[in-house]
Amino acid sequence: MAYRDRSRAEGSFQLNLTPLLDVVLQLITFFMMLIHFGGKIEGATASIRLPMAPSALPTGDLGLDRLVVSVDAKGRLIAEGSTMEGASADAWWSEQARKRTAGLSTLGRKNEELPTLVVVRADKAATFGSVRGLLSTAQGRGFARFTLVVLRGRQP
Amino acid sequence: MISGKERRRARRGESPEEVQFPVTPMLDMAFQLLAFFVLTFQSPTSEARLDLYLPTTPVALPGAFRGQARVTPPKRSEMDLENDLRIRAEADDLGDLKSIRLGETPLPDLEALADRLRRYSAVMEGRPLRVRISADDRLRYEEAARIIGTCNAVGVASIRLADPASAEGTRDRP
Repeated sequence: MAYRDRSRAEGSFQLNLTPLLDVVLQLITFFMMLIHFGGKIEGATASIRLPMAPSALPTGDLGLDRLVVSVDAKGRLIAEGSTMEGASADAWWSEQARKRTAGLSTLGRKNEELPTLVVVRADKAATFGSVRGLLSTAQGRGFARFTLVVLRGRQP
Repeated sequence: MISGKERRRARRGESPEEVQFPVTPMLDMAFQLLAFFVLTFQSPTSEARLDLYLPTTPVALPGAFRGQARVTPPKRSEMDLENDLRIRAEADDLGDLKSIRLGETPLPDLEALADRLRRYSAVMEGRPLRVRISADDRLRYEEAARIIGTCNAVGVASIRLADPASAEGTRDRP
């Protein structure tokens, strides 16, 4: 055929896929290696500066039922995009506990402590009293499992 | 090693058969894997977590009002409370850590605390080591997190937070 003859005469075009494949496989290796280093726990915000603590557990495997709250430098509770303190914070905890208790009751699991994991992101400049107060309030409403988000520091 | 087919081809003056490696499916797979990793990528972070289990105080059990009251044994957490090691942290006016004690023993720093907890852990011979942290409310959370992290690092099984104001930290509730 004339077409084929002409193309042979001009030299066939061959895309060199080898370097492309090399790059792609290197990128895959890069991402595969990084996938185990863990990501940020949800609820990260620039306004909260986390403290550093030795030998904290890596992130991940936090379970499905989570409640993420933050404590700012002034000790105020930040949850669901609003800042609360005092009675409004107490009311918010009560509401969260009520919803979850109602869910457990539907499943026939009454008088059990709530399985929800409360993820607390507290600013390093907050006082221990404000964090302890928050934990105490949540504990009083039935929450028992807490995790404090920190930055991994050196071993003591 | 030249095969018979190639030898015959060479005798006839034909060029050897070109082996074509099918790159396209491999490239398809590679791009799919790449897309997956790019979409699920989270930048590496040094964020970590410190787990606390703070069991709630047992409430009055239902059923008692019908004359079916039962004697309930105290919760394990209550019985364990007496065996907890107590860490007392005091803060200065600025909220920095002024002093730290393990039981009645004053310690110079957190490394000494870690060392002592490790020795307690060795003495316990596999039994869970539990601590109760009682810190001043004005202590900065950064310092408190370091204490909790130190306990975590030496393998303390259970960390409780006690109220320093209530009977020298005998309460389980934070």
